[in-house]
Amino acid sequence: MGRYILRRAVQAVGTLLLVMLLLHLLTTVAIQLNGNPAQAFFGDKVATAAQIAAVEERFGLDDPCYDQVGNPCLGPFVERLGQYAQGDFGTNLRGREVSDIVATAAPNTLRLFCVVLVTWLALGMLLGSLAARRRGSAGDHGIRLTSVLIDAFPVFVLLIVYRYVVAVPLHGWAERTFGEDSWPPYWFKPSFDADHPWATVLVPGILLGLAGSAAFIRLVRASQLESYQGDHVRTARSKGLGERHVVVHHVVRNSSVPVVTAVGLTFAEALGGAVITEGLMNIYGMGGVLWEAVRNDDVGLVLGVVTLLAAVTVVVMILVDIAYALLDPRIRYE
Amino acid sequence: MRQSRIATFAAGAAVVAVTVAGCSPSDTDDDAGPVTLETWISQDMETLFPGDAGSYDPISVLDVVYDGLVRYDPETTEPYNYVAESIEPNDDNTVWTITIKPDLTFQNGEPVDAEAFARSWNYTADGDNGLYSNYFFSIIEGYDEMQPETDDDGNITTPGAADELSGVEVTDDLTLEVTLSSPFAGFATMLGYTGFFPIAQECLDDVETCSKQPIGNGPFQVTEWQQSQELTAEKWADYPLEETPGYDAIHWTEYATGETAGWADFKAGDLDLSFPPTAEVESAKNDPDLSQRYVEAPGAALTYLGFSFYTDGPWQDIEFRKAISMAIDREGIISSLGSGQATPADSWVVPGGVPGGEAGTCEWCTYDPEAAKAALEKAGGWPEGEKLQISLGDDEAEVEYFTAIGNSIEEVLGIPYELNVDPDYFTTRAEHGYDGVFRNNWFPDYPLNENYLSFYAAGSEQDSQFGWYSKEFEDKLDEAAAAPSLDESVALYQEAEAILAEEFPTIPFRWSFSATYYSERLTNVVLNPFSGAPILRAVEVAA
Repeated sequence: MGRYILRRAVQAVGTLLLVMLLLHLLTTVAIQLNGNPAQAFFGDKVATAAQIAAVEERFGLDDPCYDQVGNPCLGPFVERLGQYAQGDFGTNLRGREVSDIVATAAPNTLRLFCVVLVTWLALGMLLGSLAARRRGSAGDHGIRLTSVLIDAFPVFVLLIVYRYVVAVPLHGWAERTFGEDSWPPYWFKPSFDADHPWATVLVPGILLGLAGSAAFIRLVRASQLESYQGDHVRTARSKGLGERHVVVHHVVRNSSVPVVTAVGLTFAEALGGAVITEGLMNIYGMGGVLWEAVRNDDVGLVLGVVTLLAAVTVVVMILVDIAYALLDPRIRYE
Repeated sequence: MRQSRIATFAAGAAVVAVTVAGCSPSDTDDDAGPVTLETWISQDMETLFPGDAGSYDPISVLDVVYDGLVRYDPETTEPYNYVAESIEPNDDNTVWTITIKPDLTFQNGEPVDAEAFARSWNYTADGDNGLYSNYFFSIIEGYDEMQPETDDDGNITTPGAADELSGVEVTDDLTLEVTLSSPFAGFATMLGYTGFFPIAQECLDDVETCSKQPIGNGPFQVTEWQQSQELTAEKWADYPLEETPGYDAIHWTEYATGETAGWADFKAGDLDLSFPPTAEVESAKNDPDLSQRYVEAPGAALTYLGFSFYTDGPWQDIEFRKAISMAIDREGIISSLGSGQATPADSWVVPGGVPGGEAGTCEWCTYDPEAAKAALEKAGGWPEGEKLQISLGDDEAEVEYFTAIGNSIEEVLGIPYELNVDPDYFTTRAEHGYDGVFRNNWFPDYPLNENYLSFYAAGSEQDSQFGWYSKEFEDKLDEAAAAPSLDESVALYQEAEAILAEEFPTIPFRWSFSATYYSERLTNVVLNPFSGAPILRAVEVAA
């Protein structure tokens, strides 16, 4: 197992470098085509050459390669890698430390993901298991229909309706019913509150999780149905094991491998949903930071954030692989 | 063993659930707590260093954190001495003697004296520091020696030779003598701008920290800034001057998507000031309760059309420019786009917003299809088969406005147009890269009609961003700058605007517009006629 993880880690570093180079090239081309961001610092004011040169120098844009379309600007890239190696993630285009931005934004996104994950698993496992257990019943049909409906409902519609139609009256009601000094008003606050991050991220997280849960419900149902018909379940039952034991140990556990795979795969995809949720609910998170950074051709910030995200994704993938081994005794990585 | 793993997983999920539910919000204000004004800024505010704060948000925050030598009258926008005891020019407005009120200090106890202003101005004027407000100091003697030299590719070859403005002299603890490089009657008006605020030595010693945790001399002290999320400022107990409001603290929530993002929070009672998103503007207007808590004011930013005088084309003829201007249905375009959040412009200086600003100075800024057609005919028409280029940056809302302008011109004059949306707009414009009409926007820096006019005076056609030069206009500006009093100066600048109106090099299109709704707790909400921001020092907040 140790050697396996090491091998995966080495592969991961290679992947990371490739991702960074690719991003560096893309953002560099964007700067070369869209014009130097130093000009944007002055907005509508017409700045002198000296003023622009000073701002370029201040924000690290003074390498002439940024003015030459097609130049890959490998010099600044190598320099940046050297800084990364020393733990210095540089600054964004306005001189703010990338590590400071990430340290503020990442916890918020992680909170969101935590709630999303719990929602996925809770809804998926619960409804999927129920549907599988009572296959063909009215409940099964109801759950399947619900999952289709959830899928058909875009997450941003859900969030906009919640924020503008539901949250305001609910927030007022909670304040009147439970008092201002209680948790419920915070749960239904229409925007994120940095002083109460968990409470204000709860409902948006559940909604985002709900939107992604349909696939999980169907996946759990399908894979559990397969297990119910498996030989090992028939054997367990014929041994006289209790139904509860059979379900928990032989059905749910065996059908978890595809679910874990799906969690890993959807993790990266969830960032897309996070951009929308963060934007609408005013959560300062990684999705929104990345969105703005790309819009502003902020090479340093894009690279810093994506490097971190790529690293996290790689780690999640390794964790998923490890989880396979834990869940399915037949899988070994030696 | 296997069982316990599943149990651990379940326990992990439970921990999250419990953390989410928690027990009770810890720091909720009780009734006896401080009275806090809840307002908003945009998430992209990067600095609170006075010399580097160039946009709406940091300027409005710094307005309560710092005090300038002068402040502006909320009604007339005229300057009056605040930190300054007196500001006196010599006979030709070139040497200004500034006396500072005694016994003023920064929030860290350092004195606010002549040195505090000199160190701030020198630091910002030093071109090597690359600060936003650097260009303000070009009017003071010695500025040029502080700027770096660049080669033809725009790279710095040598840093600025001097570190201090030779024109700024500290004559005693409380007196500054400022020598300008050319006469300017409006110098005192400039001194209320953010870039001219004083800074403490402790701030200069660690500019990075100070740009996040400013050490001000104003009525509020920044206590916590969780950058991109929220900013809190509390009242400074030892504030010695009189302009300080009755409430205790200001809390700014930072929004990613502009001012309308907080509307839901405003409706939920969590924000005291907000403006609805476009879709809700009408329903807010029609709400009998909300409409009682609404203020609006015309803004001071002018969006206007320039012509490429540096290329050959029909626009060299004033009749053609008149035709274009009279073919634009300003009223119709503005009311159909952006739910009327702008005012049609018919002058170059904002009417009522700054001294000397009057409406209607532009004779040809009214929609008049017949007169437009006649003017085009007089100009010799539009060349067959050509398209009029209309260039602008890649801002979505502006593209909508300028598409409407193009359509209006095409409909009235039959001139086909092509919209040139250029992501590198600022650079292209600076390099005289356009051919035809292009968008311009001017947000003034300080409330004086001069500020809307003097940037046209580049001294020659090559140096002007439009390729336009008028000796008569520039002579009038010089005359106004040297006038013996500000009032006379303002009147002479009005004459300069009249010359601009006569020669008609640019076409005013629209003024910005500011408005806000406020919560039931607030009274005396007044918008600054110049910046459009609510004057936080004037607001009263009920507990």
